[in-house]
Amino acid sequence: MDADTLFQIASTTVLAGWASLLISPFAPTISDRVAGIGVPALLSIAYAGLVMAFWSGAKGGFDSLDNVALLFQTPQILLAGWIHYLAFDLFVGAWIARTARQAGTGFWLVVPCLVLTFLFGPVGFFAFLSIRAVKAPASALATA
Amino acid sequence: MSALAISSARQPGAGLRDLLAQMRESEPRFFALGLLLLIAMVPTAFAMSIDQRIFLDVNVWDKPLKFEFALAIYILTLTFFARWLAPELAGRRWYRVYSGTVVAAIVAEMVWIAGAAGMAIPSHFNETPLGVVIYGFMGASAVLLTSASAVYAVQIARNSQTGLSPVLRESFVLGLGLVLPLTLITAGTMSSMGGHWIGGSPSDAGGLALLGWARDGGDLRVAHFFATHSLHVIPVVGLLSAGLLGGDRMGPMRLSAALYVLLVTYAFVQALSGHPFLPMLG
Repeated sequence: MDADTLFQIASTTVLAGWASLLISPFAPTISDRVAGIGVPALLSIAYAGLVMAFWSGAKGGFDSLDNVALLFQTPQILLAGWIHYLAFDLFVGAWIARTARQAGTGFWLVVPCLVLTFLFGPVGFFAFLSIRAVKAPASALATA
Repeated sequence: MSALAISSARQPGAGLRDLLAQMRESEPRFFALGLLLLIAMVPTAFAMSIDQRIFLDVNVWDKPLKFEFALAIYILTLTFFARWLAPELAGRRWYRVYSGTVVAAIVAEMVWIAGAAGMAIPSHFNETPLGVVIYGFMGASAVLLTSASAVYAVQIARNSQTGLSPVLRESFVLGLGLVLPLTLITAGTMSSMGGHWIGGSPSDAGGLALLGWARDGGDLRVAHFFATHSLHVIPVVGLLSAGLLGGDRMGPMRLSAALYVLLVTYAFVQALSGHPFLPMLG
């Protein structure tokens, strides 16, 4: 399996996870399992396999920006980095949906946070933290 | 024991669940490690599917995958026998330290084998200066993890409250007890000879399906395999003997155990003389 095929498979799989978050008000259990566990777990297996197979052949490292850039010149390691985004962003999205549901936050407030997390990961996470802080300051600080 | 076998035959699903619950309860540490080794096979198999690198003519991840499976089978088999250890053993300090050390040895062995595969370097018989040092540690941890079967044999032999029929209990003790000496002789020879291929080509391509045993010369892994599996074969013979001939007839089981030792010896001598095991298997 080459890196481009794997990229396509990973992108399609992660979309299924995000779709399940959009229907989470109607199917919370399914959405928690798919987006919070199943898809991130599959992506983690793919990440692990890519690193096992290609890490030792890649140049670069974590210690400087130049070395990180060098690391990403190996396409399979770049793909692993991308899959890392996909997995953790979706996991955060699932956490947002679950936390909002438990707190009784309206889904209309959750959707923009999910969209932002999907596109720009940390921005959506920060947006959701902000909304929580405004709605219930003490609990946000206690468990964020 | 034979009652357990019969009830599992009636309700396969429930029988398997009960069996696994029993194994987990009897030796939680080994059970958890066994499951983790099986889970680790998933990313390893995935790495194998995307990695083109070849070592000794097979994919670099072929060996870690086999070791994960083999070590999982070994450690889960011990959890099966753990219920016949004396109940107070689990609370003994020496046993807790010992079983923790066995777990650590298996984890260390697996991390090195997978790490070496990742770097496409030999994990066994690595002749670089660091490789030689690590190989020494590996030998020690291999002996340590194998010794667990011997400890189980001694503990089951000393436990008078197993509730097992004499033939079954002796088959467990013999099966577990033979693993360490037979493996030390076969694997130890393999290690001191600097390789397991004798006479044929040093390659895993063209080996016996799944097991990889050489078809064009001797392969010491055959004897190592049978040596280590005495903890399966002899207890199964004991189970059959207890079911068919009753729990007190020791002769047939003892004879089978002796024949099994002969089989290991035969496979060992055959490999040493450079001949493949059962060449007609292709």
